[in-house]
Amino acid sequence: MFARNKIDNTQVLSSMKAKHQRYEALVKAFHADIFRYAYWLVKDRSVAEDIVQETFLRAWRSLDALNDEKAAKGWLITILRRENARRFERKQLELVDIDDVFIHDDTQQAEGDIKERELHRLLGSLSIEYREPLILQLIFGFSGEEIANQLDLNKNTVMTRLFRARNQLKEALEKQNQHRGQANG
Amino acid sequence: MDELEFRRRIYADPNSTDSDLIAAANADESKRAFWQEQKALDNKLKQTLKVEVPEDLASKLIWQQSADEFNRYKKRSRWYVALAASVAFVVGISFTILQQQSISVGDHALAHMQYADVEESHSLLPVDLNMVNAKLASFGASFNEMIDGVEVANYCHLSTIQSLHLIIDTPQGKMSVFVVPNRENMKVPSQFEDDFFHGESIKMQQANIIVVGNKNSDLSYMKEAVASRIQFSA
Repeated sequence: MFARNKIDNTQVLSSMKAKHQRYEALVKAFHADIFRYAYWLVKDRSVAEDIVQETFLRAWRSLDALNDEKAAKGWLITILRRENARRFERKQLELVDIDDVFIHDDTQQAEGDIKERELHRLLGSLSIEYREPLILQLIFGFSGEEIANQLDLNKNTVMTRLFRARNQLKEALEKQNQHRGQANG
Repeated sequence: MDELEFRRRIYADPNSTDSDLIAAANADESKRAFWQEQKALDNKLKQTLKVEVPEDLASKLIWQQSADEFNRYKKRSRWYVALAASVAFVVGISFTILQQQSISVGDHALAHMQYADVEESHSLLPVDLNMVNAKLASFGASFNEMIDGVEVANYCHLSTIQSLHLIIDTPQGKMSVFVVPNRENMKVPSQFEDDFFHGESIKMQQANIIVVGNKNSDLSYMKEAVASRIQFSA
């Protein structure tokens, strides 16, 4: 009886250990991109960090539900989006529309040249329905189809939004160049 | 492919590898330039999207997982401890209650009769008055005179009560005499029987005398003999 317990324990321990290793691998592989995704979703570093922590905690608790390692990225993104939605439910009253009060100091620390800072601001000023497919494409390298699956949209809608997102960016950049040209000239 | 369609598709995915897009770009210088421009912008966007990740984020994520696990383990074990405590409590209570249930000594006396035969067979020493009195002493009792035919004198437990069991050979067959000290919750039936034996008891001040004999034997003589000889110290 004791021998059996011992075996059970070692089995439990080794499966626990395997789960830990799996979790750590997941953290190492995805935490950076998941953080960036969260950041571009909410445009606030500390809120993004909170969401990422919550996301990985939930991921850990339901790690057994993740059967296919290839699906890990999409799985994490799904959890994160749900977490973000939950945050909105919780804090609806406290929130100001972030788009109105953008330009945070902490978003600008890394950006040296004017151009990149502008790009940063412009990306942030895209409405979320255009911004989200774009960041999925650029950060995770998702195809139109994958984005459509992730966001539960149809593929044509996704392609249209991607087109509009870039189109808006392009126009905004051109407008700025004109402004700058006028100011300089 | 017209200009608008080309632009739409490049805007939607500048890294597209669709062959018709490539063909269109090869055929048209300005389309090629537009595509290049979009790819360059995409690279810049990618750079911009790569915001700095908090340095310790990965460690934090791993740490919070261990903390979560520990907390849940603690909660779980607290739950176990609570359960174990409850079980122990219930068991304790039940035992106490069971102990307090009144004990009917008659049945136990009958049960003892079943193996009285075995008991006598391995008693080697002859039983004399001193030996019986030595054993009775723990009940604060003694015999002033020996009863004839005592073969075995031994302590036994009727239910949880330590008693003295005497096995006596009489002309009417083997009889047993139990000396059972009084307990608050003890029931001593004045008469009891089963298929082979019957018994009668006398309630005395500090103890009960129970005499058990074969089914048809007359117990009155033995009851009288014991009652007249036993004395209790004050």
